[in-house]
Amino acid sequence: MKNNKRYLPEGKYVMMGNVAMAEGALAAGLSFFGGYPITPSTEVIEHLSKRLLEVGGSCMQMEDELGSINAVIGASLVGAKAMTATSGPGLSLMVETISMAANLEIPFVLCDVQRIGPGSHGPVTAPHHNDLGLIRFAGHGEFQVIALAPMNCQELFDLTIEAFNFAETYRCPVFILSDAYLGHLHEPIYIPPKEEIITRVINRELPQDYTKKFSYKDDNIGGYIIPKPPIIGTDYFPLMTLHLPHNYEGLPGVSALLFMEILIEKIKTNIDKISITDEYKLDDVDIVIIAYGLPVRACYHAVDIARKEGIKVGIFRLVTVWPFPDEKVKKVVKNVRAIIVPELNYTGFIAEQVERVTKLETPIIKIPKVGVLHHPDDILKVIREVSK
Amino acid sequence: MSGMGPIYPKEKPDHPYVQFSTGGYLFGNYNSLFCAGCGYGIIGHIFTRVFEDEKIEPKLFPLIIGIGCYTQLVTLVHHTSQKFFALHGRAPAVATGMKMANPKLKPIIFSGDGDCFGIGGNHFIHMCRRNLDCVIFIFNNSIYGMTGGQAAPTTLYGAESTTTPYKMFENRIDGVNLALAAGATYIARTTVAHPRTLMKYFRKALKHKGTSVIEVITPCVTYFGRKNLDRLGVEYLDIIGEKMDNTGRMLDWIKRNSVRINQAKFMTDEELFNNYIIGEFRYEPDKPEYSEEYAKIQKIAMEEK
Ligand SMILES: Cc1ncc(C[n+]2csc(CCOP(=O)(O)OP(=O)(O)O)c2C)c(N)n1
Ligand code: SF4
Repeated sequence: MKNNKRYLPEGKYVMMGNVAMAEGALAAGLSFFGGYPITPSTEVIEHLSKRLLEVGGSCMQMEDELGSINAVIGASLVGAKAMTATSGPGLSLMVETISMAANLEIPFVLCDVQRIGPGSHGPVTAPHHNDLGLIRFAGHGEFQVIALAPMNCQELFDLTIEAFNFAETYRCPVFILSDAYLGHLHEPIYIPPKEEIITRVINRELPQDYTKKFSYKDDNIGGYIIPKPPIIGTDYFPLMTLHLPHNYEGLPGVSALLFMEILIEKIKTNIDKISITDEYKLDDVDIVIIAYGLPVRACYHAVDIARKEGIKVGIFRLVTVWPFPDEKVKKVVKNVRAIIVPELNYTGFIAEQVERVTKLETPIIKIPKVGVLHHPDDILKVIREVSK
Repeated sequence: MSGMGPIYPKEKPDHPYVQFSTGGYLFGNYNSLFCAGCGYGIIGHIFTRVFEDEKIEPKLFPLIIGIGCYTQLVTLVHHTSQKFFALHGRAPAVATGMKMANPKLKPIIFSGDGDCFGIGGNHFIHMCRRNLDCVIFIFNNSIYGMTGGQAAPTTLYGAESTTTPYKMFENRIDGVNLALAAGATYIARTTVAHPRTLMKYFRKALKHKGTSVIEVITPCVTYFGRKNLDRLGVEYLDIIGEKMDNTGRMLDWIKRNSVRINQAKFMTDEELFNNYIIGEFRYEPDKPEYSEEYAKIQKIAMEEK
């Protein structure tokens, strides 16, 4: 039985961030959601408990986050597009499974609605971009993940579709970095017509060639090939799913070193396609702001005012936060006098990365905030000081 | 577990079931990776035998294997079966996702006493509670074999293990009682010393719609047997036993300590102390099954305007 409920009618809606994310997932073809309630992500499971059933999918409230992520893996293995949503404490519980899934190249999407940490109770509805440190190396073992950081409800819808496409194509864990304010924000969003959405979505399909089921290095073309994800219940499934280093058939026969290389390089060599970035008034800059997620919105405002004052400042926005686009950032910061990195955390996970790729003499000014958003004035103040 | 085990001659054995082993199919090696005298060989054999005799469609019965010594059953089971190794304790959750994303499948889970009642207890309880259509085997050897003989939640009172050198004094978990309380609808316990009964239960579970829990008592000669006496638990009666360092003694001990369910009704708790009650504890084929109930709700949701 099929119906047309998967796609909302084209038009403008006012939606909460968490709901927009859930609708994006539906549009991307979600058919299994496993979750466990945790503020501020709970609206996702609440919304999907109704909506996912309407399209014939399953939305399960599992016994805990370990259960959620493992059920998601199980569903993905039988060919479903699957996701979960959680916040910091839940994410910590999931990491063992995330590493296993990364090593077996099982695609899934995880929406992390970050909250002020690390506590498990208290004022948990304040935002804090504190999970990137965990997410970028989410678990034991070596592998790469993809993390996308939307900054408004429209992007929560659009980038969720992109996240599912990345998961299908690159077969690695894909994270959506939302936060307590973004997830609870209500904003107008535009849902495009069904026909347009369908052209954007990469479906789970069986390949022509059934012999290769896991990524491998092709010495002839010198690149890394990522076959489609195998599906239990079809002929396209390996004899074993070894947690150990395995070759493209899933059997032993590849060195551990080469195996790690494949897992990491299959992402790194595709960084041009994975890395989504955005530039704002970036030609002729002296000062560049590098930001992601909600703080970017305050930056736009600050930059507009500073420009009026004649300060040459612009924004380099990371939409794909991880993998970090080394080369692009190197190019952007090449001739600037100073770099400002406003982040919703104290550590400065991205500031650390910027530091890694910039010349020693370029000053990097962090603007840390925890639990409260940046006011444009906070950023403007720093811009003015730096420009003196 | 004893390393890679002996390498048998390369030719295919005549044995009607061993010839289907995954290890043989892949590597031409028809051995098992278990210690000499381990009970898991019997279990692997029985699984393959039922799989072959019942002409099970492998694509409809995915095998989800937990982590423990029994993970190596993968080399013994039928090579056509589709296998996935879950993480330690998480197999029931993986099975839940599989079943709900493709309700045509009926997952078969291999799990151990540590896997299922220790680290994965919560998932097991909730799978039983939902009465999800699947079969779960729990191999109870009263010890953590894989990691070298530590106490399990099922370790018998008075037993020695590497983490209970002064003897086990914690209460043990009774998997069957747990499954009964949690709401599984087919629950049975047997031992590897009763292979025909095990096959019977397995066949019945395959046809049952709902969670089937089959606990199998199996000997771990290397880590349980070597350290414990075959009169374990009755030392207070001044009976001194012998070390169970071979399969004969261990199987003997298992048989002696297994009480049929209808006999157990007439026995006192003291008499049943450290014993295993075997038999079928519950069979309720008419109870609603989770994925079927879910499908009904999906239908309502899909038709709603
Ligand atoms: C998260 C995690 N913790 C610990 C381990 C180590 N470990 C592997 S098997 C095992 C015990 C398995 O015991 P049981 O399920 O009784 O199986 P047996 O080996 O006795 O057959 C442990 C603790 C692991 N693999 N993963
Ligand atoms: S359960 Fe015990 S006897 Fe069997 S393989 Fe493991 S250690 Fe050896």
